[in-house]
Amino acid sequence: MLELDGVHTYYGESHILQGLDLSVEDDEIVALVGRNGVGKTTTLRTALGLTPPRRGTVRFKGEDVTDLEPHEIAARGMGWVPEDRRVFAHLTVAENLRVAAHAAADPDARLGEAYDLFPALERFADKEAGDLSGGQQQMLAIARGMLGDNDLLLVDEPSEGLAPQIVSDVVEALRAASADTTMVLVEQNFRLAMDLADRFYLVDHGVVVEEGDTEGVTSDDERVRRYLTA
Amino acid sequence: MSATALSLGVADPAPLLATGGAVDGLRTAIGVLVEGLGKAAVYFTIAVGLTLVFGLMGVLNFAHGAVTMVGAYLGGLVLVLVVGSGTGTLATIGVFFAAMAIVFAVTTAAGSVIELKLIRPIYDRTPTYQILLTFGVSLIIEEIARIVLTLRGIQPDPQWQAPMGTTPDVLLGRTDFLGIAVRRLYLFEVLIGGVVLVAVWLFLTRTLYGLYIRAGSEDTEMVQALGIDVRRAFTVVFGVGTGLAAVGGVLLMWDPIWGPSVLLSVDVLLYAFVVVIIGGLGSFRGTVVAAGIVGIADSVTTWLFTTGAVTFSGLSEVTIFLLLVGMLIVRPQGLYGVEEVGGH
Repeated sequence: MLELDGVHTYYGESHILQGLDLSVEDDEIVALVGRNGVGKTTTLRTALGLTPPRRGTVRFKGEDVTDLEPHEIAARGMGWVPEDRRVFAHLTVAENLRVAAHAAADPDARLGEAYDLFPALERFADKEAGDLSGGQQQMLAIARGMLGDNDLLLVDEPSEGLAPQIVSDVVEALRAASADTTMVLVEQNFRLAMDLADRFYLVDHGVVVEEGDTEGVTSDDERVRRYLTA
Repeated sequence: MSATALSLGVADPAPLLATGGAVDGLRTAIGVLVEGLGKAAVYFTIAVGLTLVFGLMGVLNFAHGAVTMVGAYLGGLVLVLVVGSGTGTLATIGVFFAAMAIVFAVTTAAGSVIELKLIRPIYDRTPTYQILLTFGVSLIIEEIARIVLTLRGIQPDPQWQAPMGTTPDVLLGRTDFLGIAVRRLYLFEVLIGGVVLVAVWLFLTRTLYGLYIRAGSEDTEMVQALGIDVRRAFTVVFGVGTGLAAVGGVLLMWDPIWGPSVLLSVDVLLYAFVVVIIGGLGSFRGTVVAAGIVGIADSVTTWLFTTGAVTFSGLSEVTIFLLLVGMLIVRPQGLYGVEEVGGH
C-alpha cells in the first residue's frame, strides 16, 4: 500500500528524516512511535507530499508519487487526520464533511455514511466546527479523513489533548475506520498505539530503529524503552 | 479623494435641517444613515474582491485599485459609445448593467491570466515578492491608462466627464423618502452594492468553489490534503476578485465624488485596504461590517463639515484613517480576522 524508501526530508536546513524506510501492507494498522521531534509527523507529511523529500522515494499503491502535489496524492486515496484536528472552524460540520466528499458521485450519500458511523456528528450538522468539543472535533476529523473513499488513512496524534473517556470513543472510531481502510497511526500514548496497531515502527532521529508486531510489546520492553525515555 | 471632491459630494444640509425639533433631528439622522449606506455600498464593492483574494491566497493585491480604475473607464467607454441623447432612462440603465457584465467578464479573464502567468510562479517566495509584483502591475496599468487616454485626447486627471453625462435623469438630484431628501444615486449605489453582496454571498455559500474558498481561507494545506487542487481555486478566485474590483469601477463611474480618473487607482486602493483591515483580512462578513462602519463614519463626518459644525475639510479622511489606526492598536486581526492555520 505505502512504501517509503531512503527518504530524506528537510525543514529549511534542518535534516528531519535521514534515510527513513517503511512499508505498510493492505488492511493493516501500523503505528509510528518514538519521542517528540524524531520525525513521526514529518513521515506522514512526506507520504502525503505536504513536505516533499529531497531524496528517496514514496510509493503509494505501487505508483511513484514522490513528485506529485498533495491534492494529486490525496485524490489517489490517501487521507489525513492531522495533529490538532484542523477542522474548518467557521464551516459547519456538514460543510466540513462536504469539502472532503467533493469528489464523490453522491456527496449526500457519503455524508449519510459518515453520520451512520458517527451519529453524534449528525446532531451537530449545522453547528460551526469551532464550537464543538475537542472529542467531537476529533470525530469530525476522522470522519472527514474517511470520506474521500481513501484506501489509506494517516492519523496523527488522535488522543492528544483529550480526556480519557473521550479517548476510548476515539479509539472505537478508529477501529471502525480501520475495518475497510489501511491506517498509519502516530501516537504518543504507547499503550494505545500497541492496542490499536498490528505492527509498529520505532523512529529515532529520522530513521527507523526498531520494527515488529505489536503483540505483547510494552513500554518496558528493552527494545523500545531506551528510545521512548528522554 | 481630494478635499474639493469631498465637498462636492456631500449632502446639502439645508433640506435636512429646514426646521428644528426632534422629528427633523430624526429625519436628519436617517438621511445621514442612508447616505452612509450608499457610501458603504461603494466601499464594500471596491473591497470585497481584495478580501476574497487575500482570504484564500494570502496575496495582498496592490493592483486592485488599478483594476477598479480600468473598470470605471471601460464601463464609461461602453456608456459613452452606446448611450446617446435620445436614449431613454430604462435603456441607459440596461446599458449600465450590460457594461457591468462585459467589464466583469473581460477583467475576470484578464485576472485569471495574471494569476496563472505572473503570480503563480512566485507563490513559493515570501509575500514581499507578491506585493512588489502587484505594485509593479499597478504602475504599468496606470501608465498604460495615461498613454491611451492622452492619445485619445482625454485628460487622465481630473475625472472623465463624458460618462457622467450619461447618468439618467432619474438618478440625478434628490428624492423624497419618508420626508427625507436623499440623493437618488446613493439609493442606486445601495441597490447595486446589495446585488453584489447577495451575488458574492450566494457564490460563497451555494457553490462548490465557494466552499473551497471558505475552507481554504482557514487552512489551505488541509484543503489540498482533502484532494482539492487549490491552485485552480486560486485562479478562479483571483479572476473573480479582479472582476469584482472592475465592477466597483463601473459603479463609481456615475459618482461625481469618484468618477473615472487615473488617480482613482490609488484612492480606491486606500479605502479598500482600510475596509479589509478593519473587517479582518480575508473575512467576507468583516468586509460587510467594516464597509458599513466606514461608510457611516464618512457620512456623519461629512455632514458635520457641511453643516459648519466642523470647519476642517479633511475630517472624513482623518476619521476613517483614525478608525484604521485604532483597530490596528486594539485588535490587529480586525473585527472578524481569521486565524491562519495552514499557511497559504
